[in-house]
Amino acid sequence: MKTLYLALKYLAIALWSAFVVFPFLWALTTSFKSANGVTGGATWIPWVQYEPSLQGWQSLFGGVGGINVVKPFYNSLVVTLSASVISITLGTLAAYALSRFTFRFLWMRNSDITFFFISQRIMPPIVLAIPFFLMLRSLGLLDSLPGLILVYVALLMPIAVWVMVDFFNGVPRGLDEMAWMDGCNPITTFWRVILPNALPGLVVAGMFCIIFGWNDFFFAFTLTFTETQLLPVAIVSLNSSVTPWWSLSAAALVSIAPLVVLAFVVERFLSKGGLAGAVR
Amino acid sequence: MYRQKYLFLLPGLLVLVAIILFPLLFTIRVSFSSWDVYNPGLNWIGGENYGRLWEDARYWQALGRLTLLSVTTVLIQYVLGFALALMVWRDLAARRLFRVLFLIPMMTTPVVMSVLWRTIFHESLGPLNPILESLGIGAAPWLSSAGWAFAAVVIVEVWQWTPFMFLLLLAGLLSLPNEPYLAAKIDGAGPVRTFFSVTFPMLGAISVGAILIRLIEASKIMETVYVLTSGGPGTSTETSSYYIYIRGMRDFQIGYSAALSLTYLIIMIVALTVIAKLLVRALVKDAA
Amino acid sequence: MTKTTLRGAFAATTALSLIASTAMAEDYTKYGIKADVPGTCSFEAIDAKDYTGRTLNIITHAIPVIGEPTALHAQQFQELTGATVNVVHVPFGDLFQRIMIPFQTQQAAYDVLFHASLWLGDFSPFFAEVPAAYQETSGMKSVTDTYRGVSLVDGKLLQYPMDGDRHYLKYRSDVFANPDMQAKFKEATGRDLTVPATWEEYNEVAAVFNDFDFDGDGAPNFGTAEVTKRDDLMFSAFISRVAAYAKHPDVKGGFFFDLETMTPLINTPGWVRGLELFVAAQASMPPGGTSFGLGDEIFSFGGGQTLMSYSWDDAFIQAMQADSPIRNKVAAAPLPGAKEVWNRTTGAWDTFETPNQVSYVTWGWSSAVAAASPNQDMAFDYLCFFSNEANTMADLQIGRFGVNPYRAEHFDPAFYQNDLGWDAAVATTYADTLKAVDSAPNQVFDLRVPGVGEFMSSLAAGVARAQSGEATAQEALDGVAAEWTAIVDRIGKDKVKAAYANVVALEDK
Repeated sequence: MKTLYLALKYLAIALWSAFVVFPFLWALTTSFKSANGVTGGATWIPWVQYEPSLQGWQSLFGGVGGINVVKPFYNSLVVTLSASVISITLGTLAAYALSRFTFRFLWMRNSDITFFFISQRIMPPIVLAIPFFLMLRSLGLLDSLPGLILVYVALLMPIAVWVMVDFFNGVPRGLDEMAWMDGCNPITTFWRVILPNALPGLVVAGMFCIIFGWNDFFFAFTLTFTETQLLPVAIVSLNSSVTPWWSLSAAALVSIAPLVVLAFVVERFLSKGGLAGAVR
Repeated sequence: MYRQKYLFLLPGLLVLVAIILFPLLFTIRVSFSSWDVYNPGLNWIGGENYGRLWEDARYWQALGRLTLLSVTTVLIQYVLGFALALMVWRDLAARRLFRVLFLIPMMTTPVVMSVLWRTIFHESLGPLNPILESLGIGAAPWLSSAGWAFAAVVIVEVWQWTPFMFLLLLAGLLSLPNEPYLAAKIDGAGPVRTFFSVTFPMLGAISVGAILIRLIEASKIMETVYVLTSGGPGTSTETSSYYIYIRGMRDFQIGYSAALSLTYLIIMIVALTVIAKLLVRALVKDAA
Repeated sequence: MTKTTLRGAFAATTALSLIASTAMAEDYTKYGIKADVPGTCSFEAIDAKDYTGRTLNIITHAIPVIGEPTALHAQQFQELTGATVNVVHVPFGDLFQRIMIPFQTQQAAYDVLFHASLWLGDFSPFFAEVPAAYQETSGMKSVTDTYRGVSLVDGKLLQYPMDGDRHYLKYRSDVFANPDMQAKFKEATGRDLTVPATWEEYNEVAAVFNDFDFDGDGAPNFGTAEVTKRDDLMFSAFISRVAAYAKHPDVKGGFFFDLETMTPLINTPGWVRGLELFVAAQASMPPGGTSFGLGDEIFSFGGGQTLMSYSWDDAFIQAMQADSPIRNKVAAAPLPGAKEVWNRTTGAWDTFETPNQVSYVTWGWSSAVAAASPNQDMAFDYLCFFSNEANTMADLQIGRFGVNPYRAEHFDPAFYQNDLGWDAAVATTYADTLKAVDSAPNQVFDLRVPGVGEFMSSLAAGVARAQSGEATAQEALDGVAAEWTAIVDRIGKDKVKAAYANVVALEDK
């Protein structure tokens, strides 16, 4: 019974791992193909099954007939990190308030306000393209990093609030009460007592913000012209009538590289039990 | 109680409102105009767009399809995510490696991954059908038959977002206290009963949050559909946001697509509120 | 000073400057051209201009099709004039909105725009007319009437022609010439294997050779590769299949609409027949062929998987790449025709001994300068330079660039034979086919009217319903016709009609 259970468990894990890895392996081998390699059918082993070519990788790093992903990579990094930091800062404060104090605006109570934050993510982005465009135009922020950061704050803050409200709800109120008895006011309580204990929550919130910011395509695409390109936009500029399977595969691998590092970081917090209470 | 409480809430709230207010009001205003490719601008045509929407069968069908798609994918993600989290929770060799591995799909850019998936599903040049054939399962018309195309979209969504559920539930599992398990053991509960009487109830609140957020995000599915199937074959994979995209960006009917979006927004808010209430009642024990 | 002396002095200085320039003649062949061709926008003429300190913003298609030559010539222009040139590349599915949003919100985002010529109806209010000086250049003079025609709105030249596109038939000449294959075909159908002259024949040939290993490589081959994916230029494939049945050579006054009344004609019997044959052909497509995008079609025919295809040049060029396994095993021909053509004036089918052949001049990249651009001088110089004779001849040789023949001199088979090393037979069928399209008596053009995106996405959705069996051909097209009527009413009958008159004028010339 026990062995059967173990066998099944390892089988399941192996299957899922294969499913997860499969697209990346395919991307890896495809990134070394040329048009002939692709039209030759599904092949996996270079030299044996197809003639490898560096075309895909070359097209990512400058040269005529390619793009240069270095600057877009940098832009993506700046926009994602700035917007994430701002969102998490403001979102954490708001979340703490929503978790600890009672608010009442008109008919709205705490849970309604929380839902108001989260509901900002419901709207399909397509329809916001033109209003955001007009807004950034009047601010003179079209095609600029600050403009994108502004829009991304609106996209990311709801996530930060959602994660942090859940997190603070899981932090015992006893901590606050002890601080108050020591003569702290809410601000010093938050700063000295709550924040140092909030790191796990911040890690999760940060991760979600970075993921959603890094991978957004639509706004990065609509609100920029020629100066400010983010990575996903630069990558799809290789998607011409003849879809270059090779370049896109290479690009897919490049664009996930930094976030894989993030996966390791998050796992580290997770396994040390540091995330305990991050989501509750 | 404390005046300072507003110092915490207001900065975030005001910034968000400031950023979102103009776009929202503008969208409401535009939805009463006939802004299109040839007549840009904010004229007033009353509720004409809403009247048209009411009779737009394609929109309502797309909404139905979206409901089916998002409920299916989120349920699968939840079940799989939970199962995976339980498996790498403890008693597993190299579990930290698997945890990292299982997180990675979520980190990828959907618009790029969709193109990659399209090459995988490609029925004559892609790798999937040859593998299925060698396993004796046989090739499938992935993108050219209605049912399979729907399945393809579900598979991509499950691949990408199961890690989201996995992460939240694993974090929840790792933070569970030990005492209830000891108690269950003393009672002589087997693993199945322990799961249903201890683990599952204690993860109720997390589950509700994770499911709701995923429902919101899954409902916005656009790029995957666009790249994989363009809503086809026929209209079999056309979802609301893809339909809104077609009307808004392809046809450039800005006014009409604003009306479509606002209707969608209201329907979603109502639906999510109801779903949230139901989920809380079903999954969270101490909710009452 | 008299007039004569003035002219004399002018001639003298010109001569002097000529001598001077020859003396220090730069070698422009480093830019990958064979030799500079003198003219208003030659390398030399552009080299003489100084745009230091100014910036030119360009939006273009994704790399490499059109996007790569845009970037290449932008780089050259930058080096020659000192201007800063920014180029942004956009996949074609998103190009329209990316251009339209700044236009509608009066934001001068781009100076130069590369776009699909069929969007002219929507973009024309925002384009600057090509100045007279550029219309007089030798490069512009040799653009064929067809491709000049698609750039005109009410007699004004609003697009700068830099590409020519059309649909034509592509097939595997090695298979058609193989006696075994001919015998197989004869056995199956009782007639000789010929290049399809009608769409019925096309479907028949495709069916016989479908799921059959005609190239002997062990993997099955298939009959036909067509662009069938909704919202992915499928509408062009569909129109190619319909034109021969619905565009009667003697009936004037509109193909998509009756120009008089602006009644949609898309649910008339000719269109329905075309759609039925399109649906029937699905049986002869490779696996997944019923949701092929353009890229899939290119890989399928260009990679040697399918026997026949029809669309733009890309798949043909792919097949003719130097390292292609089917190089010189392909040939081009005009689109198949129809022996029965719907005559909407008499309301009956007319029978033709020689099939009615219709050329479909579709898509075609084009370029323009934004009317709101503060850099129109520099922008037109760039476009003129982009398409100068030296650059164009170089671009034509690089298949992935997607710059296809549009000037009289481009239809010379010798060029493809000598410069690209094609077999004489291939070069001849290619050049002759393209030339035949250009000069065909019966042509149809894209619906170049405001709202073309709306019309085409409605059409594609309807066709997709028929393809998937959700509706019959007649039901599907009736639905499209109803939507088209609504779109015309919404945009305004007069506006659509005025724009469509330009298209009909080209067809009825």
